[in-house]
Amino acid sequence: MKQILMGNEAIALGLVHANVDMVSGYPGTPSSEILGNFEKFSNKFDCETYAQWATNEKVGFEVAYAGAIAGKRTCTTLKQVGLNVASDALMSASYIGHLGAMLLVSADDPGFHSSQTEQDSRSFAKFAKIPVFDPATPQEAYDMVKIALDLSQEFEIPVMLRPVMRVSHAREICEVDDEVNFKPNKGEFKRDIGRWAAVPPRGRFAQGLEQLKRVDTIAQYNWENFIEPRVKELNGSQTLCLTSGTGDGYVKEAVEELGLEADILKLDMPYPLPKEKLEKLFDDYKTVIVFEETYPCIEEQLSSPKLHGKLTNDVHKIDEFSKDKVIRAFNNVGLTDKQSPYQNKKFEDELPVRPPNLCPGCPHRDVYYSIMKVFKKKKSIYPSDIGCYTLALNQGAIDTVLCMGASVAMASGFSIADKSKTVIASIGDSTFTHSGVAPLINAVYQKHKFILVIMDNSVTAMTGRQKTPERANPGVIDLKHIVEGCGAVCMEHIYTPNIDESVTFMKEVKKKFEDMDGPLVVIMREFCVLDKERAPTMLPGIYAEVDPNKCVACDICTTQYKCPPMHYNEDHKIEIDPFLCIGCDACIDDLCPTDAFIERKVK
Amino acid sequence: MKYQVVIAGIGGQGAVFLVKVLSIAAGLKDQKCLGTENHGMSQRGGSVSCYVKVGDFYSPAIDEGQADLLIALEGNEGLRNIQYLKKDGGTIIVNADEKFPNIEYKTVKIDAFAKATNGEIPIQALNVYMLGVALAKDPNFPFNLGDIEEAIKVMNAKMADKNIAVLHKAIEDSRSV
Repeated sequence: MKQILMGNEAIALGLVHANVDMVSGYPGTPSSEILGNFEKFSNKFDCETYAQWATNEKVGFEVAYAGAIAGKRTCTTLKQVGLNVASDALMSASYIGHLGAMLLVSADDPGFHSSQTEQDSRSFAKFAKIPVFDPATPQEAYDMVKIALDLSQEFEIPVMLRPVMRVSHAREICEVDDEVNFKPNKGEFKRDIGRWAAVPPRGRFAQGLEQLKRVDTIAQYNWENFIEPRVKELNGSQTLCLTSGTGDGYVKEAVEELGLEADILKLDMPYPLPKEKLEKLFDDYKTVIVFEETYPCIEEQLSSPKLHGKLTNDVHKIDEFSKDKVIRAFNNVGLTDKQSPYQNKKFEDELPVRPPNLCPGCPHRDVYYSIMKVFKKKKSIYPSDIGCYTLALNQGAIDTVLCMGASVAMASGFSIADKSKTVIASIGDSTFTHSGVAPLINAVYQKHKFILVIMDNSVTAMTGRQKTPERANPGVIDLKHIVEGCGAVCMEHIYTPNIDESVTFMKEVKKKFEDMDGPLVVIMREFCVLDKERAPTMLPGIYAEVDPNKCVACDICTTQYKCPPMHYNEDHKIEIDPFLCIGCDACIDDLCPTDAFIERKVK
Repeated sequence: MKYQVVIAGIGGQGAVFLVKVLSIAAGLKDQKCLGTENHGMSQRGGSVSCYVKVGDFYSPAIDEGQADLLIALEGNEGLRNIQYLKKDGGTIIVNADEKFPNIEYKTVKIDAFAKATNGEIPIQALNVYMLGVALAKDPNFPFNLGDIEEAIKVMNAKMADKNIAVLHKAIEDSRSV
């Protein structure tokens, strides 16, 4: 049956159709919608499954992996940087394997749309020696989920599916199974200490030998099942394009539209490759070009003087694919000298930039504003973390961003290295439970003197407001208990949209910090304005406007506060966009030195 | 038939909604369709650009100089994406006032913000309004009113009446543009 599906929905439906009964992941754009949709489809088709957000990607991976050891068909979902967190588990799991099946979905983000790196999960699969499938479209993603799980079951190791953002967030009419024949897999742990607890050196060495053999076998499997049938369809032109994932679509379209002469061979499984067989194929061609996103994963596995790609500087090495980049590669290799039709004039005049920003009414904005009021920039260091609150960069309230949870240990490092400044770090509640607890214990026992502000809005906001452990278990998991359990001193404040109140509280924090000889943790109990459950009860619905006679264009609101509705009009007075103002009331009274923000009378 | 649409706007304006409506419309007519949308970072009030490709395509993204239609939910976001339009024959449907500059493409401008301020349309439905203008003003638009109405119903039955009313209002308003 035909169904319009977003890539991540297609993957989720594929999981249900592939009889997967455990999914455990951590949200991260562009992977986040898979788990929620799996839960939705499970409920819809009455399948008894486990679908839960883990505290971090390593935990998510390990839950799913143990399920697969016990014979279940499982899946873990994460984004490419999340795979870094889960990598410790993955590297060993690849040696040990499992009895059921396990799919590792690692969604990549070429072009840095929502990520701090552009790393290629396929190269990670190669590093870990597990097979990887690279879908080009939602339909392929759906199909490959099933193929990958069967492969995982057959060879008893985790298999990776690597969709990029243009697959996860693409929408396509997909052909999917008519029926759901879901049967729960029996979970039964079979004791096998030699395998599940293989210790170095002998146990793991033996598994290492098996791993090498397995990779060779799967490379042959790849040839017979996925490559050879396509080789038969090649037309015999002088140029061969090897493609993977979305790269295939761009090459197909460019070759078709420009009338280029080239054979296209798509590699569904870019690792492991049957090296000799593919290189033998090159005999029939003058030139071979590899088109893949984003690292030279395929290219690194092959060698031939005919081979062109990123390593020969013929294909782009960073940023998303486009047809323009395909034609440029053809030109670089000397196959054509065509002018690219895929370039066009941009608008000439400079346009105002529109960077992403904290939402109107977001409590984070007030908290950062009050931190900066009390802990002045010149005498402070502001390490921060990964989440919506990273957008406080716009307010100048963040000095460093590294990776999930880094704010805490970096605060330690800065407090040791530069004692002339106060270190005041910030982290979200979800990020804190993800990887902020271990470094906090480290800071307590080594007496690192800094302030850590946990911005607790009770959701994983940036990735679509998934429930946090605390939210999912009210009264059971409590951040304050966790912090105190780590041995840290903790102050708590319930946020209200009143800037003066937040500033007053920060002054108390400053005072308390003077007497500290270790970390001081501050929990700001906030809310997310997009949180349909909580926001309506927290927002007073008092909307703002500007008294133009009072505005002196001092720039305080546009540089230190940066609420999206605030902008200068043609008379160079601040104006509030009535469509964007959410009615939080925060700017009225406390923000403007000349009291220009006033209550809007008619809503 | 091949038809490529870029939808540009600001995070929160409902560009993704339009991607869904257009792909549903294509699905109902049994036409091939690939769309792509922004999530995460780009939804926080930043610039958003989504693509819909109807017909025989293999890649979801649109290159420069390729789009038949640019639906701009805000003027500057329209200008920021102008290079995606086909050099000959590309059309921009833009929510902008009379200050919108003259450009070398067929331009249909309508001040939807003013209409929302006057209470003529709800601001939340600005996306559907601009879709209605595109439907009325682009002779090559691959769907008719019935197709879009049906897609809107499939998309969200509860809100369908309100959205369809806005669609009709847009078509009505387009007569004087």
